[in-house]
Amino acid sequence: MSPDLVRDILIATVPLMVIFPTLFAFTTWLERKALARIQNRIGPNKVGVPLTRYGGRFSLFGLGQPLADGIKMLFKENIVPRDADRLFHLLAPILALIPAMLVLCFLPIEFPWTESLLPVQAFLLDGAVIFFFAITGLNTLAIFMAGWASRNKYSLLGGMRAIAQMVSYEIPLVLSAVVVVMMVGSLNAAEIANAQAGWNWFVFTPWGLAAFVIFFIASLAETNRSPFDLPEAESEIIAGYFTEYSGFKFALFFLGEYIAMFAISGLAVTLFLGGGAGPGIATLPWLSAMWFIAKIFALIAVMIWLRGTLPRLRVDQLMGFAWKFLLPLSILNILVAGFAHFIPQENIVSKVAVWVVSLGILYMAAKGLNQLNRPNVRPRDYKYAE
Amino acid sequence: MSLLGGGILKGMAVTLRNFVGSYFDRDRLTTNDYAWRAGDSLPQHAGEYPKEEGEQLRDTTTVSQYSRNFPMLLHDEGEAMDTIRCVACQICERECPPQCIYIEKSTEKMERGGNKAQFYPAKFDIDVSVCMSCQICVEVCPFDAIVMNSQFELSTSNRFGGLLLRRDDLLKSNGYYHKIHPEEAAARDRRMAEEKAAKEAKKKAAAEAARKKAEEKAKAEAEADDKKQEDTQ
Repeated sequence: MSPDLVRDILIATVPLMVIFPTLFAFTTWLERKALARIQNRIGPNKVGVPLTRYGGRFSLFGLGQPLADGIKMLFKENIVPRDADRLFHLLAPILALIPAMLVLCFLPIEFPWTESLLPVQAFLLDGAVIFFFAITGLNTLAIFMAGWASRNKYSLLGGMRAIAQMVSYEIPLVLSAVVVVMMVGSLNAAEIANAQAGWNWFVFTPWGLAAFVIFFIASLAETNRSPFDLPEAESEIIAGYFTEYSGFKFALFFLGEYIAMFAISGLAVTLFLGGGAGPGIATLPWLSAMWFIAKIFALIAVMIWLRGTLPRLRVDQLMGFAWKFLLPLSILNILVAGFAHFIPQENIVSKVAVWVVSLGILYMAAKGLNQLNRPNVRPRDYKYAE
Repeated sequence: MSLLGGGILKGMAVTLRNFVGSYFDRDRLTTNDYAWRAGDSLPQHAGEYPKEEGEQLRDTTTVSQYSRNFPMLLHDEGEAMDTIRCVACQICERECPPQCIYIEKSTEKMERGGNKAQFYPAKFDIDVSVCMSCQICVEVCPFDAIVMNSQFELSTSNRFGGLLLRRDDLLKSNGYYHKIHPEEAAARDRRMAEEKAAKEAKKKAAAEAARKKAEEKAKAEAEADDKKQEDTQ
């Protein structure tokens, strides 16, 4: 490796390692604030500029909270259960963080400083989308490792739930992304983003809209976000796989989870929301990165909103939803995409017709699946009571 | 035919309404009572935690009148130990689910407020690190001597001794009780007055009945005497 290449690699990757953890800190604050407001509370508003008394006069809406949390996490005691597998207990949080960080490189964010570094623009990798799914799949392993190594029933239950959930939702996730790959004819993230330049975002097509919704739901499950947060369900299994984690190891898990959220939202932005496309990027190219991150935050905001709204699913509902609803629907969506692709769309009438027919088919299918999956509920007969 | 996923959208509309509403409508905020106001007025609207040093009070009267956390002992107007209501019957000690109350009965009885002389607690400790704020002690107390306090600033630097409240820490006047829980205290006082009145009425009735009975007996005896005298004559 030549020194130049090393330099380029560092310039391309180190900012990612700085920007996204910073955004993570901000997001935790944002999430706590938003959830508080949804519940008619105020949320963190005391910690302000560090080292000022009480943070009172400069509390800045509690923006110092992530910093205080970070310091607290760093200084907390690291407790490892006596019978835990110490090596894997240590490795699991690291393994949870690495794939999440790694896939950030595949997001086609056009930072101003990467322009001159074409050889290391990692997102030029031709199989970026495949690589993305392959690497994020490692996350499952990390979570099960944590559950197994803790030697705790709740942790193990959480790990097992995580495996079942993440393996199941990977399929609709990939199948909904396949539509975009089909249409663009490339697995290259940058090419997919470029194909949507201007306002030709795939979310503005009937099949793209459906795929985006499926992708978003599956990505919630992949990142263990509410309402699919069964692996870490506090009220059922304490904290699932990180019951036995404290201090900095817990912080690593937390960081990994949020980075994974950024990464998968970034992929959704790349596939459906036009990547860095947006007004003003022709004159100011650096706006592209801003747009990209703004779109990621829009998706994160919806995730937080959903977390404040929906109750957790039951395990059987979770599995049924993946296999009996999302999977058939995403397969049907591939056919619909083919239909929409081969019907000529010259004038507005044919465009509207394609929209109506495509969404009609998908909606009827969803409705039908919903009917089919309806649980067979009948009045309960009491054997002993009364 | 209902819209698929319509329930989720409806729920999201509700949370959005709460989210936006909490910024414009201060009355929505449920946790805003944690504030200190000058004077004796209880805060009715949003405030924030005291920002200046010295604004915190040990006897916090700033929370909602429906708030409660740990028990306190009541005494009537006057010197605390002279008017303490507790008679060290130890019912609360026995009923307390987490067993956080420790009572030591006094050796001699004490008279208070013209009532019959009773025992008093020589020791009355509540370990608030154990207490679960269930209020069962309040419900079982036949003397209305223990009620819930709403004081919340209990942080100490010593987690054993500091969180063990002694009898003298727990003693509060009925006036303080009226200040922190006006509705509850008024209801309790009313009930106590009614009970007292009923008791007195009963006593009076009993006395009356006894007097009547005695009169009748005297009369009957007198009649019997008369008869006897007649017989002998």
